[in-house]
Amino acid sequence: MNGAEKLGRRTDATIEAEGLERVYPGGLRAVDGVDLAVEAGEIYGFLGPNGAGKSTTVRILTTLLRPTAGHARVAGYDVVKQASQVRRSIGVALQEAALDPLMTGRELLQLQGALHGLRRAESRSRAEQLLERVDLVDAADRLLNTYSGGMRRRLDLAMALVHRPSVLFLDEPTTGLDPVSRSSLWGELRSLNDEGTTIFLTTQYLEEAEQLADRVGIIDHGKIVAEGTPQELGRLVGDPGLYVKLIDPSQSDRARELLAVHGSVSDRGEGCLSLRTVLGARAIAPIVRTLDEAQIEVDAVEVEEPTLDDVFLAVTGHRAEEPGEDGSP
Amino acid sequence: MSTVALERDVATQGRVIVALTERALRVQMRRAQFLLPSFLLPLLLLAVIASGTSAAQQLPGFPSTGSYVGFVVSGTIMQGTLLAGLMAGIAIASDIEGGFFDRLLSAPVNRASIVLGRVLGTAVIGIAQAVLFLSVALAFGADFPGGIVGVALAILLAALSASAAAGLGAAIALRTGSLSLMQNLFPFVFVLLFIAPAFFPRELLSPVLETISVVNPLSYVVEGMRGALFDSSALGSVALGFAAAAGSVLLTCALAVWAMRARVRS
Repeated sequence: MNGAEKLGRRTDATIEAEGLERVYPGGLRAVDGVDLAVEAGEIYGFLGPNGAGKSTTVRILTTLLRPTAGHARVAGYDVVKQASQVRRSIGVALQEAALDPLMTGRELLQLQGALHGLRRAESRSRAEQLLERVDLVDAADRLLNTYSGGMRRRLDLAMALVHRPSVLFLDEPTTGLDPVSRSSLWGELRSLNDEGTTIFLTTQYLEEAEQLADRVGIIDHGKIVAEGTPQELGRLVGDPGLYVKLIDPSQSDRARELLAVHGSVSDRGEGCLSLRTVLGARAIAPIVRTLDEAQIEVDAVEVEEPTLDDVFLAVTGHRAEEPGEDGSP
Repeated sequence: MSTVALERDVATQGRVIVALTERALRVQMRRAQFLLPSFLLPLLLLAVIASGTSAAQQLPGFPSTGSYVGFVVSGTIMQGTLLAGLMAGIAIASDIEGGFFDRLLSAPVNRASIVLGRVLGTAVIGIAQAVLFLSVALAFGADFPGGIVGVALAILLAALSASAAAGLGAAIALRTGSLSLMQNLFPFVFVLLFIAPAFFPRELLSPVLETISVVNPLSYVVEGMRGALFDSSALGSVALGFAAAAGSVLLTCALAVWAMRARVRS
């Protein structure tokens, strides 16, 4: 019998929320009736612009903030009534990797171990394992104020793993990271998920959700406005897009007329055209041929992946807004 | 909860408190902005007071304590412990503003343990301050007739005083969560000192200050320290000093735990 069974809870780690609401003093409704059901072993991406309610939802699910209405259960425990059990079951890496700059990586990991009830020797050996896992052995005894952004995020992730949690909450884990650090963190998250960890991650990047998430929820103004696999969400944008750049911008009008047979074309100026077509990438060869026959020289043709903005526009009818609306702490 | 589970829980919280105490000390020792006010500033003020106002010793009503430094050093210890308490509050506010506090709150840790770790760390700093300031006073000619026991009691009072100050600093930091507010409390430490017989005997304070000093618990702590160091009940009651210090610790720590609960609930 494992520990979870002894405690009499469900053994599959899940995240469930029903009618979750959070109204801040002053009336700001940051989370407005969120329902969630994340299966054990799933990576769930929570997408939305700054101020949409992502962080407030994560703060409620991680017991840092009480909901003003609704219920949520994490790893089988109620986030309000069984907050302590929830904290034992989850690992949390919040936005901006809040780490004490005057401590070393090793000290922070050992402190985190002690906070989760590990004995000193256990805490030391666990810190050693995790430093190796996130490739920070060489930097282990340096103060945090000498770490790069990517190193801080890796340490933050390691700290969230100290007590081998079954559910991991990551709030914008790669915001501000360079592509190499981002890709290395994605790799680490995939391998954690392969080991059975359920991951709930918020992000502003559709690409991140596509790379990692089994399912994605889009939140806007505190409400979930769309949910599905990344592919399903991408399809909400409509037909796939192609971007065509001409060498001679004066041929734009002629090219537009010719390409209209392949789909709907819009002129983006300076010799650039957008084409929406059901064929997607398969339309590249016919359109290059069409333009070539008309002696219109093509500089570039690219498939345009739908961005978060595109999905947003499709499901909300407006563009993702600027930061600051949430007002959450 | 069974006895075994209770014992395990107590042991776990004990480990948490020790780890947080160690962290409080480590970070405090690495940050010059914490060390200077806690250790250097009181020493500078001790030097200024001892050299600039030592003539006060000739005033009628000033007790005979040998060197003036010996009399004033209890006030220096009080000043140091109050500043250490303020630094504890600043450290908590800085954790709150920087987000590290959320990390502590998202761990399965008793909220009171987070306060206690910080308070105990400050108590250790209070002990270090008392040892340093008393050594400096001895080096500059002070004589403590209370001997080892008197010095030990004074150091214990310093630890309690630092704990009480840390409890108050923590309560304000947890209630407000504002680093800038905590930094602006600096001058109030000196107000508290000057409405207590920190550097002069109570009889030489102005009538208004003397009246206020009666309700200031610091008065009893600083006089208790002198009573212990000089083995003189005329200078102050050690028992009253301990009662005032222990009462302040309980009150301020209770306030801090309440402020913590209020912060978590909001």
